[in-house]
Amino acid sequence: MVKKKRIRLIAEMARKIRVYRELKNRPRESEKYALDYDTMTRPHTRKTLPVLAWQDVRRESRLFSLLSGLRMFGVGHLFTRKSWLTEHPEAPSYWQVTKVKVDYTAENMDHGRAWGVLTYKGKQESEAKEMDKVMYHDWRLVPKHEEEQFKLYNPVPEPPIRYVSYPPLLRAMLLAQRQKDELESAAEEPTLPLKRDVLLSKEYFRSQEKKRERQEGTAV
Amino acid sequence: MAAYTLKRCLGAVNVIHKCGNHRFIARRCLLSTSYTDTKLWDAREKDHQNLALLASLMDRTYDRNFPVSSLSISRFVDNISSREEVDQAEYYLYKFRHSPNCWYLRDWTVHSWVRQCLRYGARDKALHTLKNKVQYGMFPDDFTFNILIDSFIKDEDFKGACSVVEEVMLQESFDLPTTQILSLYALSNYLATKPELSMSEERALGASLLISGLKQDGSIGLSAQLLGCALLGKVEMGAGIHAVFRGMPLMWTPGYVGRALAVMERVAAAPGDDKLSKDAVDYLEGLLQDLSSASDSSSGEDDESGVEEGKKEEEVDEDDQAERDKLPLYASRFKVLSGQLQSRGKVDPSPLQVLVSILVQQSLASAEGPDMEQYQRKVGEWEAERQQLIRREKEMRERAEEERRAHQAAKAAAKQG
Repeated sequence: MVKKKRIRLIAEMARKIRVYRELKNRPRESEKYALDYDTMTRPHTRKTLPVLAWQDVRRESRLFSLLSGLRMFGVGHLFTRKSWLTEHPEAPSYWQVTKVKVDYTAENMDHGRAWGVLTYKGKQESEAKEMDKVMYHDWRLVPKHEEEQFKLYNPVPEPPIRYVSYPPLLRAMLLAQRQKDELESAAEEPTLPLKRDVLLSKEYFRSQEKKRERQEGTAV
Repeated sequence: MAAYTLKRCLGAVNVIHKCGNHRFIARRCLLSTSYTDTKLWDAREKDHQNLALLASLMDRTYDRNFPVSSLSISRFVDNISSREEVDQAEYYLYKFRHSPNCWYLRDWTVHSWVRQCLRYGARDKALHTLKNKVQYGMFPDDFTFNILIDSFIKDEDFKGACSVVEEVMLQESFDLPTTQILSLYALSNYLATKPELSMSEERALGASLLISGLKQDGSIGLSAQLLGCALLGKVEMGAGIHAVFRGMPLMWTPGYVGRALAVMERVAAAPGDDKLSKDAVDYLEGLLQDLSSASDSSSGEDDESGVEEGKKEEEVDEDDQAERDKLPLYASRFKVLSGQLQSRGKVDPSPLQVLVSILVQQSLASAEGPDMEQYQRKVGEWEAERQQLIRREKEMRERAEEERRAHQAAKAAAKQG
């Protein structure tokens, strides 16, 4: 028999106030990503940037340095990254900005968050996502008169995916499972695709878990 | 002066030929008076507010960390009535830009700010806010840009006009033909005065010429492209490709001198009537000669100051070095192409300025018509939006009043009962 727990109201209130104060005084993007260009350190975390990035930091600009000088914060314009240009120059990759939330505490409106539609290596995605690596000194504006030529891309057709049969023990186990579940017994042989067609990411694993739960029901 | 007398003669000629046309009597300003007058703008419904009250309201709202609505700042700008109030409005524009509502600065507020600045003779203020558009959120639309450039051209302040054109270039808003014509006029007149240009000025002029020339077809557009590419090529040879495209809407692939030569090649090969102005071709020739002589002299001095040069060359990029090595190639190709252009009669001996003046007389009047219609439509839309904002504010205030009254009544009832 546990003693009845004492309800500590003041501690609850203090906890709520602490959460509220943390929310109110959270470091804004302009504070978090401010950079001292002489020593290449961030004053917020006092960490130094990697040496190989120093030349880029001096020569290129952040995304919001470009956005702050454009009408409507550059919504609708295309932006590339210099690292993409050097990595795969033949396949165009760019972000098209759809929504911008700028950090108004910054002096030159230099920081914030942005959302847009990514086209990576010529393949355009369907939904707008939050842009990552916005604070990297890596971004370039695609001028309007060069947009058409920049977007041109003839994708090399990919060779079809090859399939291989399973190892014998695993194949036997799969066939036995199929027989037990009484699915179509004279079905095609189980094959393994040589190129993974599903991107292993958090969303994928979560969806797999949900599927499994739906089939088995939640654990007791 | 020569340009002024030329325009006077041409203006007089036009007055004789088209007697009823009053447009060319005001010789120095380009846009017609119907374009620049404020009748339509002043015919809007006035919303008289006391500026001091508005200012105190905004200060209180900022102190309490609440957002200021775009309606208050637009009311403030609309009700400016003297030069000092222009300065106060500038301060409040700065504060609005640095508030959470900075996105909602309305187009009509910017337009009204520019109009008020021009009316109270605060044109340098307008230029200052435009130059620091990041701090003031000043992004005018095409019509407003046209009015501003015209007022600078009217006072023969071509340097100021070129600064405005530079801002137009940074926004890449050369869509309207009126803007293109006005900016080319300002740029050509400024270059005709043969000013001393620093590297950043050259970069800005080159980029403006290139981008406005791309939109304009015909000999003027091509000459502007050629001159722009030549200027940018000069900056590229001097300071590297990164210095060229940083902060400008320009392509980052090196080789701007090569692009200039490609323009010449295109004109030489094209069957049409387009010509290149002699100014542009001469400038490119002079530039190539300067650069070749500079590189010859520097290679001559190399043996003497070998140690210092070695340290400096680490900073020079490989791409830039490759560009500079191509210089003799460019020079030889230029000789071939200019010979071709001369032989096919595609070099126009008149300077760029005269060509642009001819273009102005031919096309500006016709291009103004659709602009005016669009402006009228836009003013109508802005008015509707403004009235809707005023109505919404009134409704919200009434609702807050009612709630407060209900709350007070409830408290009084609770106290009594």
